[in-house]
Amino acid sequence: MRRTIRGLTAAAMTLGVLCVLSACGSSSSTSSGSSSSSKSSASMVTLVEGTAPDSLDPGMSYTSQGWEPLWLTYTGLVTYAHASGAAGTQLIPGLAATLPVISDGGKTYTATLRKGLVFSNGTAVKASDFAYTVERAIKIPWGGSGQFITDQIAGASAFSSGKAKTISGITTSDATGKITVHLLAPYGAFDNVLAFPSLGLVPSGTPFKNMANNPPPGVGPYKITNIAPNASYELVKNPRWGQMNIPGIPAGHVNITAKISSNVEANALSVLNNSADVFDWADVIPGSLLPQIQSQAASRYSKQIMNSTYYFFLNTKSKPFSSALARQAVITGISEDSLNRLGSGTLIPACYFLPPGMTGHPTAPCPYGDPSAGGNIAKAKALVQQSGMAGTPVTVWGQMRSPRRQWVDYYTSFLNQIGFKATEKIVADATYFATIGNLKLNPQTGFADWNQDFPNPIDFYLLLSGKAILPTNNENFGQVNDPRINSEVNALGAVPTTNLASVAGRWQTLDEYTAKQAYVAVFGYQTFPDFVSSRINFGAVVYNPVYGTDWSSLQVK
Amino acid sequence: MARFIVKRLVAMIAVLFAISVLTFLMLEAIPNGSPAERLGGRLATAAELHEINIEYGFNKPLYVQYVKSMEQIFSGTAYSYSQGLNVVDQVKAGLPATLSLSLGAGVIWLFFSIVVGTITAIKSGRFTERVLTVLAMMGVSFPPFFLGAVLIYYLGYKAKIFPLGGYVPLFNDPVQWAVHLVLPWFTLSVLFIGFYSRVLRSTILDTINEDYVRTARAKGLSERQVLVRHILRNSLIPIISLWGLDLAQVIGGGAILTESIYNLHGVGQFARDSIAHLDLTSILVVTMLTAVAVVVLAAVVDVLYALLDPRIRLG
Amino acid sequence: MPSRAPAANVMATQSAAGSEFSEVSPALLDDNEELPPGLGPWKLAWRRLRRNRVSLAFGVVFLIIVILCVGAPIYSHDIAHIGPNIENVSGTVKIGNKRVHIVSLSSIPVGPTWHSHYFLGADLNGRDLAVRLLYGGRNSLEVGGVATLITMFLAVILGVVAGYFRGWADGIISRVLDIIWAYPAVLLGVALGATLAVSGIDFGLFSLKGNSLIVPAFVIGIVYVPYVAKPVRGQVLQLREREFVDAARQQGLSHFRIMTGEILPNLASTIIVFVPLILANAILLEAGLSYLGAGVQPPNPSWGTMISDGVSTIPAAFHLVLVPGIMLVLAVLSINVFGDGLRDALDPRAKVRIAR
Repeated sequence: MRRTIRGLTAAAMTLGVLCVLSACGSSSSTSSGSSSSSKSSASMVTLVEGTAPDSLDPGMSYTSQGWEPLWLTYTGLVTYAHASGAAGTQLIPGLAATLPVISDGGKTYTATLRKGLVFSNGTAVKASDFAYTVERAIKIPWGGSGQFITDQIAGASAFSSGKAKTISGITTSDATGKITVHLLAPYGAFDNVLAFPSLGLVPSGTPFKNMANNPPPGVGPYKITNIAPNASYELVKNPRWGQMNIPGIPAGHVNITAKISSNVEANALSVLNNSADVFDWADVIPGSLLPQIQSQAASRYSKQIMNSTYYFFLNTKSKPFSSALARQAVITGISEDSLNRLGSGTLIPACYFLPPGMTGHPTAPCPYGDPSAGGNIAKAKALVQQSGMAGTPVTVWGQMRSPRRQWVDYYTSFLNQIGFKATEKIVADATYFATIGNLKLNPQTGFADWNQDFPNPIDFYLLLSGKAILPTNNENFGQVNDPRINSEVNALGAVPTTNLASVAGRWQTLDEYTAKQAYVAVFGYQTFPDFVSSRINFGAVVYNPVYGTDWSSLQVK
Repeated sequence: MARFIVKRLVAMIAVLFAISVLTFLMLEAIPNGSPAERLGGRLATAAELHEINIEYGFNKPLYVQYVKSMEQIFSGTAYSYSQGLNVVDQVKAGLPATLSLSLGAGVIWLFFSIVVGTITAIKSGRFTERVLTVLAMMGVSFPPFFLGAVLIYYLGYKAKIFPLGGYVPLFNDPVQWAVHLVLPWFTLSVLFIGFYSRVLRSTILDTINEDYVRTARAKGLSERQVLVRHILRNSLIPIISLWGLDLAQVIGGGAILTESIYNLHGVGQFARDSIAHLDLTSILVVTMLTAVAVVVLAAVVDVLYALLDPRIRLG
Repeated sequence: MPSRAPAANVMATQSAAGSEFSEVSPALLDDNEELPPGLGPWKLAWRRLRRNRVSLAFGVVFLIIVILCVGAPIYSHDIAHIGPNIENVSGTVKIGNKRVHIVSLSSIPVGPTWHSHYFLGADLNGRDLAVRLLYGGRNSLEVGGVATLITMFLAVILGVVAGYFRGWADGIISRVLDIIWAYPAVLLGVALGATLAVSGIDFGLFSLKGNSLIVPAFVIGIVYVPYVAKPVRGQVLQLREREFVDAARQQGLSHFRIMTGEILPNLASTIIVFVPLILANAILLEAGLSYLGAGVQPPNPSWGTMISDGVSTIPAAFHLVLVPGIMLVLAVLSINVFGDGLRDALDPRAKVRIAR
């Protein structure tokens, strides 16, 4: 009887396993729309990324990995020029015929839709689709919808809470293609908001839920197909793109398969060995491979700046950093060389809050010593003594992943060296910003970073303005509340992005002031890799300062 | 007998319920882990968070949320907060890799455990036994991620014999499927062989002294026949039951560390990612899966024991 | 006399050792036939252990490791002249007659220098690996040791109470044990670790800071309770049916006296056998929890955290993985082999081997 039971169980298990293996092996993907016909003529390149896009639904996605494919598949009323460097920060008309006309003191934006636009499934684009897209972004909800939509567009808040059926501040006319948006107050960066992929148009009637596995059709040089969640997805050329003749947005050359593999090391190796074609710009090449890559693949690798500032926040409301001298001690003594070594040499030494690719980045020498010269420990110790804060216990907050944890390890050790009693607290990545963003915790200092949402300094300075201090989800970790900064931010924030050059000088002065006040201990600007296989024409790759590697510029040699 | 089975069933359900409640409460208790804040992202405003709370029901009392989560899990509509994907689908997607790993390793470790256990029992006290013992002990003394790292480094990077990790589906390429699994199978088996061979050895040593063995020898059966027909048959019972339970554990995502170091994207690695994201729904599903697998098999084993051995009808 | 005790267990997976013993009566050897006259069971056990050279050798190895780790401050102060948490990322060290960067620009730390400074090399943060290895050993052994104490203490109490009183006490305790046992240890560790890391615990009388070593020790201790409690319970279930317990009850002794005076001494060898097993597994589990970020908190070293930090640097700086890994394996192996020898020595059926 024993044998029979054992035999039966074994047989049953084997059968069951074979069923599961074959079932799961064959159905590996869901696809939206026809894929095989459109990719017959274009070559296929493989991109490897370590982090999956948070969602391939434009109305949901709010990460770099998401925007990389989405800005090419869901064009909004405006978009950015497909160019590297400063040229890539310029706004150009997307689905709108021209850049929106700004009137009424900056509170009204008017645009007209181009004629003859169609979605990738052939449906005609209507002006009311814009209003619908915005409503959908609010309802899903998109991570930026509060900050950038509900707080800005008239009537959006009422729509969001259910009191209104539509957004009163948006009026459209399908007959003429005219779109008018009324804001609650002048907001200079609204053009940038219109350029977000999340405001890339989708057809009216698209359900108000996260359609990550089967995204709606959009208007763009590419469309998304063949999604295997958390494993891979494909971008194939949109056959309907050419007929619309939108200038400034080139059609792509190749089709792209994006593969998600969390082993970033293996990804870098595969691009080095040419078994994959593109290394995702948002991943970090492990330090152990950098020497190899720099020697063997020098002709297809470079470091690029993406406006990204890494800093240690300093709580200006509690001891010890309520003392300006204590803050200066940190900035004077910290060794950016050490931090750079811990970060695999990818940091650019820094002291100013606005990064180099941003309008308003100061060029004057740093007020507390040259950051690339190494830290002045002796001077820092003296400053700490002077401030009277020596011996104060300090809790240093940090994230778990490398190299951020190593940075906080170093920072804690450094604080102890200059005279504080520092202990570190490492928190899981998933909850880090929610943890330090809780005002009740009153964190004294810790790691923080900011990656630009769009190339307008107001995006960075919202982290330092008094009205941004919130009880939860706070991003002004240092609780900086300086009247001069507040008033400048108010004034400069109303200037439209298209007029940014005219106020560049004022932003510069403001950033120099922030550095002088030692409000934040900036320790570097992160650079990101531009790394492709030998099959790709490296010289032709466009590295857009907002969205990274421009996949539509990828070409096979 | 029936009473015994019913009692076990009831106990099983109670345990599963307790585990689900425990997991739920523990994750709710983690400070600053508010799912609304994580869903909303870094720039979420208070109004947005309020909306999210209403939509996902986070503002309702805990027991209501608990019931809702359990409903979603059992109907297969549970979505992870961090990625908005259907958790049950993701677990299903991870099953082929986990099954390949666990069943393959299971067969290997069972076979070698029997071999090593028998040899160390027969040759007990001799030098062979001591050497085998130390070897088996070594297997149990390695943390799987260390062993995996060592194997990947020496056999992968340096000797380039094996790939650096990843899983190739069986029906895509059977040869590569096996090649990619050799190191993971070894890593996982080595953990169990040390343990199982010791248990088997100890059971065999007990059985050797039983009366019926002496009777068999007296009847004139050869030592080998005695070994196989009487000793092994009886000694294998506890081993098989242990095997079933450990297998259940591994299939339910217990080989978190092995799967992670080899990047197999199985249920175990999914569990690890869920833990890293502190994603309540995903963690709940994986925990329940493991618990169900283990508890069900424990009950089945106990019932089988009771059926097989009339002495054990304790109730 | 000890019942069948499970051998060293597996980390991050759980085995069914308990179920086998919860309902089945282990074979007892009541009549100790063929014992040399005049020698009690303990003396006999010691004799058997002495003959087991391999086990003794490993026992000595473990002792050496413990002594080395206890001597960490001496090494740090007098030989290496650097503490375990002192960083030196931008500094240089002399190897031969060259000055080498401790951490290169690509984040690759220097390998073993084989002299007093950075003897085994540096870690990612420019800290002395040898110093951290010894201090890490202290932490790992401390966590393992405290966890073992917690496990044995709780398991013996629960096992004895459940086995002795039976009835509803047994029912509740057994179900609680089932829950702990079916629960993925790793998840318990991570969730508790995450909760406590931020705020620590306040128990009125005493409070624990978030990064104290007691937190992982406590978690690990709880996880292993069912492994010990179930076999203990099984043994107590039989012991209470024995004549000497009956006799004690008729004498009018209280339950407490019977449990401590009659039952507990008979469990002695079982308990002794379990200690090395649990210690070995506790150290392994600590390494696993550290790999997932829920073990010993940075910057404090432990073998587990050092290995998991090192794993991210393969292939460039493999010594970061190898050094703490080998130490850990050596320590756990020694405990396992010694514990195995201990079990053989205390097991009466071992007479089978002496006869040869």
